Amino acid sequence: MTQIIIRNGLVYDPLNGVNGEEIDIGVKDGRIVDPSEINVAEAINIDAKGKVVMPGGIDIHSHIAGPKVNVGRLIRPEDHYLTNIPHRLPYKRAETGLTVPNTFKIGYEYARMGYTLVAEPASPPIKTRHTHEELNAIPMIDKMTFILVDSNWIALDLIQGGEKEVLAAYLGWLLYATKGYALKIVDPGSDVAWMMKGKGIDLDEQIPGYNLTPRDIIKATGEAAQVLNLPHKVHVHCNRLGYPGNYATTLKTMGLTKDITKLSEKPVLHITHVQFTGYKGDSWTNLESGGEDIAKELNANPNVTLDLGQVIPGRPATTMTADAPFEYVLYHLTRWKWSTSDVEVESASGIVPYRYRKKNYVNTIQWTIGLEVALLSRDMWRIYLTTDHPNGGPFIDYPKVIAWLMSKKAREDFMRELSQRALRKTSLPAIDRELSLYDIAVITRAASAKLLGLEKTRGHLGLGAEADIAIYDIDPRRVDLSKQYDKVIRAFRRAYMTIKSGEIVVRNGEIVRTTYGRTIYVKPELPIDLLKDLEKMISAKFKQYYSISLNNFIIGEHELKKGVEVALKTHLR
Amino acid sequence: MYLIKDNVFSLITGRTITQGISMESEGKFSKEYFKAVALIEMNPTDVSKLGIRDRAKVIGECGEVVLPVKASNDVPPGVVFIPMGPWANFILSSITDGTGMPTVKAVRVAIEATNEEVTSLIDILKAVRAKSLERIPQERPIKTGEKKVFEDVPCPFCGDLCDYLRIELDGERVVRNIGGCAISTAKFLNYHKDRVLKPFIRSGGRLVEVSLNEALEVASEIIAKAKYPLLYGWSNTCNEAIELGVELAEVTRGVIDNTSTICHGPTILGAQEVGSVRSTFGTIIQLADLVIFWGSNPAHAHANHYARLVMSEGKYVKGRKERKVVVIDVRRTPIASMADLFIRIEPGRDYELITALRMAIKDLEIEAKEIAGVSKEKVLELAEMVKTANYGIAFIGVGLTMTGAKHRNLQELIKLVQELNEWTKFAIIPMRGHYNVSGANNVDLWLTGYPYAVDFSRGFPKMIPGVTTAVDLLSNSEVDAALVVASDPVAHLPRRAVEHLSEIPVVVIDAKWSLTTTVADVIIPTGLVGIECEGTAYRMDDIPLRMKKLVDPPQGVLCDTEILSILLDKVKAKRGVV
Repeated sequence: MTQIIIRNGLVYDPLNGVNGEEIDIGVKDGRIVDPSEINVAEAINIDAKGKVVMPGGIDIHSHIAGPKVNVGRLIRPEDHYLTNIPHRLPYKRAETGLTVPNTFKIGYEYARMGYTLVAEPASPPIKTRHTHEELNAIPMIDKMTFILVDSNWIALDLIQGGEKEVLAAYLGWLLYATKGYALKIVDPGSDVAWMMKGKGIDLDEQIPGYNLTPRDIIKATGEAAQVLNLPHKVHVHCNRLGYPGNYATTLKTMGLTKDITKLSEKPVLHITHVQFTGYKGDSWTNLESGGEDIAKELNANPNVTLDLGQVIPGRPATTMTADAPFEYVLYHLTRWKWSTSDVEVESASGIVPYRYRKKNYVNTIQWTIGLEVALLSRDMWRIYLTTDHPNGGPFIDYPKVIAWLMSKKAREDFMRELSQRALRKTSLPAIDRELSLYDIAVITRAASAKLLGLEKTRGHLGLGAEADIAIYDIDPRRVDLSKQYDKVIRAFRRAYMTIKSGEIVVRNGEIVRTTYGRTIYVKPELPIDLLKDLEKMISAKFKQYYSISLNNFIIGEHELKKGVEVALKTHLR
Repeated sequence: MYLIKDNVFSLITGRTITQGISMESEGKFSKEYFKAVALIEMNPTDVSKLGIRDRAKVIGECGEVVLPVKASNDVPPGVVFIPMGPWANFILSSITDGTGMPTVKAVRVAIEATNEEVTSLIDILKAVRAKSLERIPQERPIKTGEKKVFEDVPCPFCGDLCDYLRIELDGERVVRNIGGCAISTAKFLNYHKDRVLKPFIRSGGRLVEVSLNEALEVASEIIAKAKYPLLYGWSNTCNEAIELGVELAEVTRGVIDNTSTICHGPTILGAQEVGSVRSTFGTIIQLADLVIFWGSNPAHAHANHYARLVMSEGKYVKGRKERKVVVIDVRRTPIASMADLFIRIEPGRDYELITALRMAIKDLEIEAKEIAGVSKEKVLELAEMVKTANYGIAFIGVGLTMTGAKHRNLQELIKLVQELNEWTKFAIIPMRGHYNVSGANNVDLWLTGYPYAVDFSRGFPKMIPGVTTAVDLLSNSEVDAALVVASDPVAHLPRRAVEHLSEIPVVVIDAKWSLTTTVADVIIPTGLVGIECEGTAYRMDDIPLRMKKLVDPPQGVLCDTEILSILLDKVKAKRGVV
């Protein structure tokens, strides 16, 4: 296999504490090796002088595959009309789409930004075969999918019955059966309420048909994740997302970490796209940012992590979520297109095209929240850069977000175009903090790898790590990152070079070959006795609830193009 | 032609169960298929009015056929029915009005009594200038002996994709199909009959048996040389094969289109405009207390559907007795007799009824006494039913997509259902015909951003209904070669489109002898997905299922995915894309 040596680059590798030092990096057989192991005569020699070298980017939350993404493509043909890039065969297939790109564009754009691993955060179990088919079709990157368990009738029956162990075993079984990586909770209980009553519910409201509240679901699922020893614990989209005043629900949800018995050192709950659940005020007219309060809770509570869900004013978005009731509310605001789908007895979803406007009061408040949370956070290892693609904006705008975080001038220049009335109500204009390249490396790769429990082999450039490397053409010694932020955007938008699993896939911001990455999933080990009872229970429940047979529900390993199994030792006995 | 008003009728075409069974068992050249498809149903009063004895001449815009007449009270006076197939298509126009969908329901035709011979399939094939009528059907050799049973087998026939079949085998012979409908049983028990077992190329007007490699060589030559090929079909194969098809279209800068173009294409166009409101079978079984079949006849086209979804007991709805069933159709279909409410609508006027319903649910005054042949009182009754349901589901058929306002019908219906969610929960599921037509749409979407009719002429995907749709490409003579996979356009496209297939080189990949083999220049045998080959397929509610392989394909015969991989490699080499 290819040998590569990257010389003289400025390396940012937070997991190994490397902060902008000139270090040579060797790559051999898809792994990082000591440069002395490289046969220089055979190796590809890369001079990275004056360039930044980082581990490949890791996106922990981006809707890139599965049924709702495809419905997004279906109802938005106009999203493709002006975004076409013809193929360049045999190196590159045709690209199309902005907020809901085709699979090729997804892979190519991530690679061109130096990203090498992306998590699809919401797949309904019964349609996860579809999610995997799309993941199989996305080139360049490694990927994984989280499995929706927030309104699953089988899980709810078990939670109501107080059968903690069986619940954990069932969720473990479900993850393996669907080849998923983590458990995802979206607006817990709300899809049950949506299917039966056409509405959503708050954290302490009763779920129709059950003597349970969303709080019970988060707690029970959180504990199951502990018992299963999942590498990424529970990924939570809070109740009341999108409603004014919802920051209170978010703070309460963050506080639930203390009710969950910890069996590992890792944080207990991950609150996702927190911007969408960080609204103060009681109506759209007096909406304010809850960013400060959320950052305060984050700083005080080491067991919780947050990703931003940053919105990008001036860009179209396609909102898509398993939070079906909220999408119905959003449809009433936009009155254009609305797609929704109830999925068996486990989930639902909604899709509404949207555009964040610069002069809009609410949209400006939304823009400030994500940035406030990041800039007021004291621990960058518990913050992650996302736009909740394509909800807050397309992932290709990450470089813009990086610039806003790194440069007060970038924020100030942009703020001139926004609603001044809204800005007067937020603390963002008063925040001076500017993140460093090291911080950016933390929130886009190092911390991300840690959150996913992959920090041994990913998100860093230490010996033995997966050789996923991004080189950006920017020299922090010559460029004032705080002032010349346009150069930051340019550098991060098109990596000088991306190396995926030891092969060069991007040169000078252009795709040079189409490769296919791996799909990572977990296999929690379940004790055989427990498994037997479990299968009986699941088999009975399937007959009662599902419209397909249990055998046809289970996804085979051969259905993944390149599956990588992560075996887990669990606390189940 | 339309001068004498008394003999002008509204023609409806559609699936029937005998059409399905005969097609899946004896094939389309059989007597059974002829008996099932070559007929016209008329109201007895019309039959006697026209003085028809046993047959009639049906005159359409593009041609005329003579068909046996079956008197039936299921069709109202003024309306006639012909099962879908070559006879119906022979007289239909290929004009799609910019939608890609020809009008095949509510079509004006003239009918007169005649003593002429009934039009034979051969007459039709000759008239469309089929390249030759030769066919070499074979029974696939079957080893018997070992008894085997497969459980939970998904059925590769219709969009219901029933995945609970128990298939019993004696060696390679299917001896029982438990759980499958009549068509499913016919498909499984006769899978070995009427097969294409050898590759053929047409040479000097005759089919010549060649090696697989030679056939693939000629096929790749045809496709690689074409300036603008059409790759058509795809609804009866697995997603993995369709993905290769998309790549082939991209490499050749051609068009890939699937059968939704003449089926639920308009439903998709409606969704592109306004979105969609969908559900899955499981939710319906558990929650739905109102089921509407609109322009859809599941008793014939999806035979297990009613028992599976309407009769089943769920957690909150205890079977048929707690569900109301409404059927809206132009004729009294078999499913209508099982309904609590049957609404007979005038052909082609669905849009008006939907608009009236949208008004009625909002308590807007409807001035007309009758809408699309339905009394105002009935409209109000239906509006009350849909508004007060707890969870309603509309199963919609091609009765809505192929007629009148086509995609505007669907756009209006989706708007109606979106609005109904103000009062209750309501969803739509299109009754997809082929078992993987939904998969074909999904694969096209994730690879290209468009669900069908995807053109790569400029190196990137685009979809222009009415331009890049198969019927238009063929009837406007736009394409210069065709690859047909797992489909029979000669049986199901309008006459003018079929005629163009007779004029250009055509490659057919199929397991059985279709009518399209009569226009083929290369015929490549393949295994049947779901019986001989594995792969993924999507149910009509987009639930993905893994199709099973029960027996090996016949000796020397490959699966679609293998054939298309080789073809793709050869085409790439010929076009210098390696």
